[in-house]
Amino acid sequence: MSGFAFNDLSASFGDKRVVGPLSLEVQQGQHVALVGKSGAGKSTLIKLLYERLTHQASLVPQGLGLVNALPVFHNVFMGQLDQHPLWYNTLTLIRPFRKDRDIIGTLLNGLSISEKQWVPAASLSGGQRQRVAIARALYRSAPMLLADEPISALDEPMAHLVMKALTDQFSTSVIALHDVDMALAYCTRIVGIQDGRIALDQPASELQAADIMALY
Amino acid sequence: MLSYPTVRVSLLFLAIAVAGLFVADIAITTANPWRDLGQFFIGVATPNFFSTEGLLTALLRTVAFGFVGVALGSFFGFLLALVYRLLPVRIFCAFIRAIHELFWALIFLQFFGFHPLTGVLAIAIPYAGIFAKVYSEILEESDPEPSRLLPPGTSAIASFLYARIPDCWVQIRTYTAYRLECGLRSSAILGFVGLPTLGFYLESSFSQGMYSDAGAMLILFYVLIATMPIWVRPKLLPAYLLAAPFFLGEGFPIVWGNVERFFTEDIVPSPLRNGEGLAGLSSWLGDVMITEALPGIWNTIVLTQVALVATGLLSLLAFPLISKHFGGPVRRTSGHVFLVIARSTPEYILAYILLQLWGPSMLPAVVALALHNGGIIGHLIGRQTNAIELRPDAPTGFTRYSWELVPRVYRSFLAFLFYRWEIIMRETAILGILGIYTLGFYVDSAIQNIQFDRAMILILITASLNIGVDVLGRFIRRKLALQTMPTC
Amino acid sequence: MITKQIRKWLVSGFLTLAVATTASAQTFVFTAIPDEDETKLVERFRGIADYLSEQLEVDVRYIPVKSYAAAISAFRNNQVQLAWFGGLSGVQARALVPGSEALAQGVEDQAFYNYFIAHKSTGLERADELPEGVRGKTFTFGSKGSTSGRLIPEYHIRDRFNEAPETVFSRVGFSGNHTRTLRLVESGTYDVGALNYKVWEKELEDGNINTDDVKIIWKTPGFPNYQWTIRGDVDERFGEGFKDRVRQALLDLDDPALLESFPREGFIPASNDDYEPIRSVASELGIID
Repeated sequence: MSGFAFNDLSASFGDKRVVGPLSLEVQQGQHVALVGKSGAGKSTLIKLLYERLTHQASLVPQGLGLVNALPVFHNVFMGQLDQHPLWYNTLTLIRPFRKDRDIIGTLLNGLSISEKQWVPAASLSGGQRQRVAIARALYRSAPMLLADEPISALDEPMAHLVMKALTDQFSTSVIALHDVDMALAYCTRIVGIQDGRIALDQPASELQAADIMALY
Repeated sequence: MLSYPTVRVSLLFLAIAVAGLFVADIAITTANPWRDLGQFFIGVATPNFFSTEGLLTALLRTVAFGFVGVALGSFFGFLLALVYRLLPVRIFCAFIRAIHELFWALIFLQFFGFHPLTGVLAIAIPYAGIFAKVYSEILEESDPEPSRLLPPGTSAIASFLYARIPDCWVQIRTYTAYRLECGLRSSAILGFVGLPTLGFYLESSFSQGMYSDAGAMLILFYVLIATMPIWVRPKLLPAYLLAAPFFLGEGFPIVWGNVERFFTEDIVPSPLRNGEGLAGLSSWLGDVMITEALPGIWNTIVLTQVALVATGLLSLLAFPLISKHFGGPVRRTSGHVFLVIARSTPEYILAYILLQLWGPSMLPAVVALALHNGGIIGHLIGRQTNAIELRPDAPTGFTRYSWELVPRVYRSFLAFLFYRWEIIMRETAILGILGIYTLGFYVDSAIQNIQFDRAMILILITASLNIGVDVLGRFIRRKLALQTMPTC
Repeated sequence: MITKQIRKWLVSGFLTLAVATTASAQTFVFTAIPDEDETKLVERFRGIADYLSEQLEVDVRYIPVKSYAAAISAFRNNQVQLAWFGGLSGVQARALVPGSEALAQGVEDQAFYNYFIAHKSTGLERADELPEGVRGKTFTFGSKGSTSGRLIPEYHIRDRFNEAPETVFSRVGFSGNHTRTLRLVESGTYDVGALNYKVWEKELEDGNINTDDVKIIWKTPGFPNYQWTIRGDVDERFGEGFKDRVRQALLDLDDPALLESFPREGFIPASNDDYEPIRSVASELGIID
């Protein structure tokens, strides 16, 4: 199963409550967009969810979490370190196997960065870095996706490509987005966050961009 | 001005050092110090590279001991760094690094004798303690986010290899390369206690007044250190490491019975060995404390405090030498040369030279410590000022120095100085071997009298003193919110 | 690839160890206390090594050391089997190595003596006892573990003034060796010093002393000094009767150049008991337990 239902989500920073308490239930097959002003608590909510769903979810955090000194290939390969024995992982660090090179090469190709496969993450542009983190999440192929602004640094055609890839591969997802049009185009459900609480929760098909703008 | 805590702390240390000057033994006791100094410089200017047949071998041994010692130290230091969060490990590392390489060498000489292991371990052990600390600090600063994102079930080792090491690799490599330079210096001075490195011949030439021979050795040593970026290449490193053990020399076989004897008899306090019981032990300890430890501690502290402030003053005077805000390229280049020489001459060798020239008192030690450490800090601070952009209409000359630059670098200057406090104390103690009455003098005397039990107690006291100063230094740096990367 | 490297590394490590062990298993090694300039010592004892090697028909090697204690430790640790010790270092070494014995001493070592010397600026003159005028001057011993550079001078200073050297003199140092003591007093770094009469006379003969700058102010009474000391277990290692052969070789030494380098007239038999006076003085001064 890859849906979830949590009743007691809350988080504080010092004495200041940033999220919740709130309940959120997501069914398998739903693509949920979290929208709202920056600082509303979207990122914290994603983090909270990841803490509870680590075993079932791939995460694309806002900070991306790339290892700058490693090439793109290894950053992506890290998504499946649990699938191989230690010797295999260690050898891959020195010299990757053909099979993995092909799979990751194809994946990167789909995101139009295959030419960067052996370049250290440190020397990539913001948009390229973001796609590496996305490739890693795709490669991990967990049943669910948690993503925090995964397309913030991408141009429009690329953003569409990525959103499509993400919603195609993952059957269930929770994606924080500030781009309302994207949210409406690719997600099935919109959850609006305001001051750490749910201020809006409706199917995407029933909403217009203007309805959402009220949150901002 | 007095409202700044940094200024108040500086003035406090200055006052302590001035008070120290009144009780310290500061004098030039030779009749013709300047003539000797002149002869020394003439010697350096007219080096004789063909005096000792063993000179090249000694140079090779110096490099070999340095490489093997630092390699082992960094390997074990790395392993220790992985478990550094455990308190016993931290205490253990603090302890082994608080004992100077020369003391370790003196200890190992008693049972391994002139076996290569003596020199290798004398470097590897304290370096492992330092590496453990610095590596763990570097690892701690690595970005934790990538490891959090790994799929659950990833083995700890794989996670370490992918998410931690690559992130710190450059820093680890830079620091290790830097320690290699320190390792060559340590290796060179091990010769002073009889190992077959450069110090062996340097000591002989100096004590016989053969300054041209000594000058040649010093010049070779500077060239060796200065050309390190050229001959120490990552690709050549495995070859060096494989070859180095072959160049340690033969030495003499280890007799393991000697090791056992050292630990079960030699270092057992003599009253216990002779069955005089606890009463005998306490009077023996009292005697060691009153006649050796306390005078040694007192002199060590006095000399350390004076040398610390002298180091600080010299660094502040020296950094403009290489700062782009003062003088032209000629002056800066000569400034660089001066600071390179000052910092790549081990303080032990500097102190030895000055003691030979000026006679025994604390003065040569203070000057040696200040030159070496001031050279290091002056270099670091000078480099820092080069990153500062002054406004076009900034004042020039002394006003620029005192209003624009010193205030901006003062905090990191203090950070470096307090970081080196413990290092200065460790060196101060060891300089006693040269005849200044710090703790090293009493350790050396005990060893000369074949009283290893006394030597051991005094070494332990020295180590505790160093650990104490290290803790105090960190406390002050934290209080003043000063941050720094390690120097050696 | 990695395992191969590790294997290479280990092999290389073992090789060095192996080389180190075989190189000296059957070499008879000796050392000497570093009481004079090293160049002189190396020259002198290389000659002795060659001579002994010829006489004993084994490899003989001399190793120079940096301190008296290092010589004693090497002897105690069986890394050297024979040593040219001073009176005190010999007593210390033999106490640490049961079965070891004094083999031979120089003719002059039966009644060795010391000179106290002073720089001209002190105005001190030679006297029959240590002049009162040394009080308050600066003073240098030789090495900390030396008989004629430390033990005997300290004994006489305490005997004469009933005080520790540190209170008699304004500054007390350890020059390291006798040659160095001579140089330091000659140059005025120290006002007064004490050294082995042999070193003084050899340097004087070689024209290396400026007698305008430095002069003798007192000559100590005699005491037993230098001797060859050998470990008790050499017969087991180098064959029956080896110790006696070493002794005989030393007693037979008549090469004038070699003897001159010590300088000694020749070597005569010695025994551990000859050094009892040194032992009791050292114990009185607390240098040995």
